[in-house]
Amino acid sequence: MDPLRQDEFDSQACGSIAPKAKPCPRPKPGEAAGGCSFDGAQITLLPIMDAAHLVHGPIACAGNSWESRGALSSGPSLSQYGFATDLTDSDIIFGGEKKLKDSIDYIAGRFAPPAIFVYSTCVTALIGEDMDAVCKEAADRIGIPVIPVNSPGFVGSKNLGNRLAGDALLQYVIGTGEPEPETDLGVNLIGEYNIAGEMWDIEKLMNSAGIAVTSRITGDARYKEITWAHRARVNMVVCSRALLGLAKEMEARYGIPYFEGSFYGAKETTYSLRQMAYLMNDREMERRVDRLTEREEARLSQELRPYRKLLRGKRAVLYTGGVKSWSVISALKELGVQVVGVGTNKSTEDDVRRIADRVGDDTEYIPEGGASRMIKTVRERKADIMIAGGRNMYVAMKEQIPFIDINQERHKAYAGYEGLLRLAKELTYSLTNPIWKLAASPAPWDKEAPPYDR
Amino acid sequence: MSMDELNIKDNTSLFKEERYVQQRENKKPFEAPCSEQETAEALAYSKSAEYMEKNFSRQNVVINPHKACQPLGSVMAALGFEKTLPFVHGSQGCNAYFRSHLSRHFKEPTPSVSTSMTEDAAVFGGMNNLIDGLENSVALYKPEMVAICTTCMAEVIGDDLNSFIGNARIKGVISEEYPVAYCNTPSFVGSHITGYDAMIKGILSYLYTRSGTRGKPGSGAESGEKLNVMLGFEPYTGNFAELRKILGAFDTKYTILGDHSGNYDSPATGEYEYYYGGTKLADVPQAANALATLSLQKYTLKKTQEYISGTWNQQLAALSTPLGIKGTDTLLDTISELTGLPIPAILTEERGRVVDALMDSHPYLHGKRVALVGDPDLLIGLIGFCLETGMEPVHIVCSNGDVDYNEVKFKDEAEALLAASPYGSEATVHVGKDLWHMRSLLLNDQVDLAIGSSHLKFAAKDAEVPLVRVGFPIFDRHHMHRYPIIGYQGTLNLLSLIVNTILQQLDDHNSGFNFELVR
Repeated sequence: MDPLRQDEFDSQACGSIAPKAKPCPRPKPGEAAGGCSFDGAQITLLPIMDAAHLVHGPIACAGNSWESRGALSSGPSLSQYGFATDLTDSDIIFGGEKKLKDSIDYIAGRFAPPAIFVYSTCVTALIGEDMDAVCKEAADRIGIPVIPVNSPGFVGSKNLGNRLAGDALLQYVIGTGEPEPETDLGVNLIGEYNIAGEMWDIEKLMNSAGIAVTSRITGDARYKEITWAHRARVNMVVCSRALLGLAKEMEARYGIPYFEGSFYGAKETTYSLRQMAYLMNDREMERRVDRLTEREEARLSQELRPYRKLLRGKRAVLYTGGVKSWSVISALKELGVQVVGVGTNKSTEDDVRRIADRVGDDTEYIPEGGASRMIKTVRERKADIMIAGGRNMYVAMKEQIPFIDINQERHKAYAGYEGLLRLAKELTYSLTNPIWKLAASPAPWDKEAPPYDR
Repeated sequence: MSMDELNIKDNTSLFKEERYVQQRENKKPFEAPCSEQETAEALAYSKSAEYMEKNFSRQNVVINPHKACQPLGSVMAALGFEKTLPFVHGSQGCNAYFRSHLSRHFKEPTPSVSTSMTEDAAVFGGMNNLIDGLENSVALYKPEMVAICTTCMAEVIGDDLNSFIGNARIKGVISEEYPVAYCNTPSFVGSHITGYDAMIKGILSYLYTRSGTRGKPGSGAESGEKLNVMLGFEPYTGNFAELRKILGAFDTKYTILGDHSGNYDSPATGEYEYYYGGTKLADVPQAANALATLSLQKYTLKKTQEYISGTWNQQLAALSTPLGIKGTDTLLDTISELTGLPIPAILTEERGRVVDALMDSHPYLHGKRVALVGDPDLLIGLIGFCLETGMEPVHIVCSNGDVDYNEVKFKDEAEALLAASPYGSEATVHVGKDLWHMRSLLLNDQVDLAIGSSHLKFAAKDAEVPLVRVGFPIFDRHHMHRYPIIGYQGTLNLLSLIVNTILQQLDDHNSGFNFELVR
């Protein structure tokens, strides 16, 4: 499903091209849809923590979005800064290329980043800014990579933006550097953004099994480590269908095998670790992984016992984007929580297939967004809890439905064995909080009537 | 609960564990290519006057912006009217940002839809998207009015909203009578306050024109309507309640034009509705007959004010956000003048209580140097409040402050206000600057307290200055918007926030000798 360029198309042998898959779904006018391609591209690249991220466009795209995601950094914080060229009406008429050039120079001079990512926006794409040329000229002049990310909002969904960011990495970053000779080469984690520090939990597990992380693409990443991603021995596509194209292309170009995996739930975690060792073709490592996963799973099942009692048979509606739609189902299943409704409007065909593998027949698929649609499923399926993103959280509160935030603003890390414990704890807390009882009962002087006269 | 014993750490404590510390160490070799000493030198340099000068001569890049864009304001404005669906004409991401942004501040859902324009719309225009969008959203969300604003994209390709809406009617997607207000809100001009103004003016003029009535100022008084009130881009739902309290005390009839407090402070009843409260659509043409209009954000509501005093031919009083004792005095005087009603005794009494509270706290406030960030009208109010408490505004940054009202620029008014008090003698007012400029100011010339939105927390942390969160957006604290900051009660809230932050500082940074019980 990765976009084929014409030259690649021509160079491929007859019959070797896979049938064309369904493109990213187009948003429908008149709905409360999710983010745009610009948003998607930023989400993918912002976790490169030591790079500068400059938005070329009017103030909105940066002004409405800077530093509002939960991708944590263990060191540099340059990625937290909101850089924007802040185009005004005269720039729209006369062009903003000079402004962009000056902005790049200022950032390079003041912040000395290892690289600058420059994002196009609706406006700069429409007025035909030659961002590639400006970036190339600037890179040559100032001697650091200046990478154009051509993903204006209007080209489509957030998902497509993730992919376009992957394209930018392929075209400008991966393969441009080499690791130190003594570096222990291992796995690239693709599509793991270190929300709430999840990547660190994953890395801790991998370290315990003696598996090295070569490049983080891009959770808590440093620019330099991505430049040598092509030297990794295995690519793992973590919870992001959108960056699968990147892994496929790296397999074609560099012969790196890849697999898709997830770290949500013990089963998926164990599978992912095993798969890494297997693809690295290292028997000793496989044995280490087996020992580690057995130990961790045993410990986990012990620690989960009190939660399982409470969570067994509880019913959840899950509404989240991309791969979490299926991977979180596995985690919930292990806790005894049944998924009775699942959003699919941001899922690809493969995601939907994976969802189907994991849920029973009586699970409702929710193909469109919008608060009322989701609430309807919660009510009809008698769900106990809703698991979704921040924009839907307050609707759940209005409806007095227990809620867990699973998207980018969450503050809890749910990956790995410990992550599953944390998820169990959050589910339990959310379900058992006394506020639901209080909210559901009328005021004492109002026993007969509903709590509010409406 | 027994499960607490498991002690599952969250990310505030977890990553202090040895293993994670080691992970971070391992990463250092390919981190920023500079030593700790170089980092320290760079930090020291960023505190120097030399760097500040360089920073202030920066022309072409904005670092850490403190403004949002026009359509975000328009969405908030649209939610101030009964059963009105905000409708954003452009690519879908903008709308997702607005919904997140507003929801993160108010901790409430934001119903708003977009036309989801894509590449084909960029080439052929967004008319089909707008028509389909109107059809879908009216069917899905059943609003009684749709309020359309544009984004950059629609503006750059030059979409004509008026004709598109007309075509939607011709096509029968919406009926001839179905109300659709609109305004043009390119993000490359102005900021969220400009967009707020554009949408309020768009809705008022649209509903007035289509009603076919002609305003006779003062004639509304027959039915008791005396006053229209506009709060502007108002991030505090508590301010609406406070204003109602004040107007109620006067016992005047009034209409609030643009009241989004219903949408952003609705009760948890167990059933979510798309629309809560808001100004009734039928009240808008009526409002043209009122005696006068009172605007509480004169810089924000510039165009709406011109429209009201022009087309409605109505008496208009325009203030900035009424903060502090003097600010509230002016508000009460103005209401009294416009309505001819005396100032209620109950408010005079409240004033006395708040003055008393200010006196109680004054030893801790006097001479405290503060930095302020915000929208123009809020800043005028905050400066006034600081000066009357003996606090000294030192750095004032207003990203969207290059606006005027009646040919008085915000910067000039702010400077005149500061010049009139000895406590304002050190202040400098910076318009069109961002939070990276503010960081330079804070590092270069230390203050005791920073007052501004959550976005200021990064600069405040670097400069080790406590931050009192006031304004928009406040993402990282809960329920701040539920407390009023206007009126005497609001002044008391603001005072409590500020003085208790200062007292907390005293406790946190006590030298061991002054960890005292009584303050």
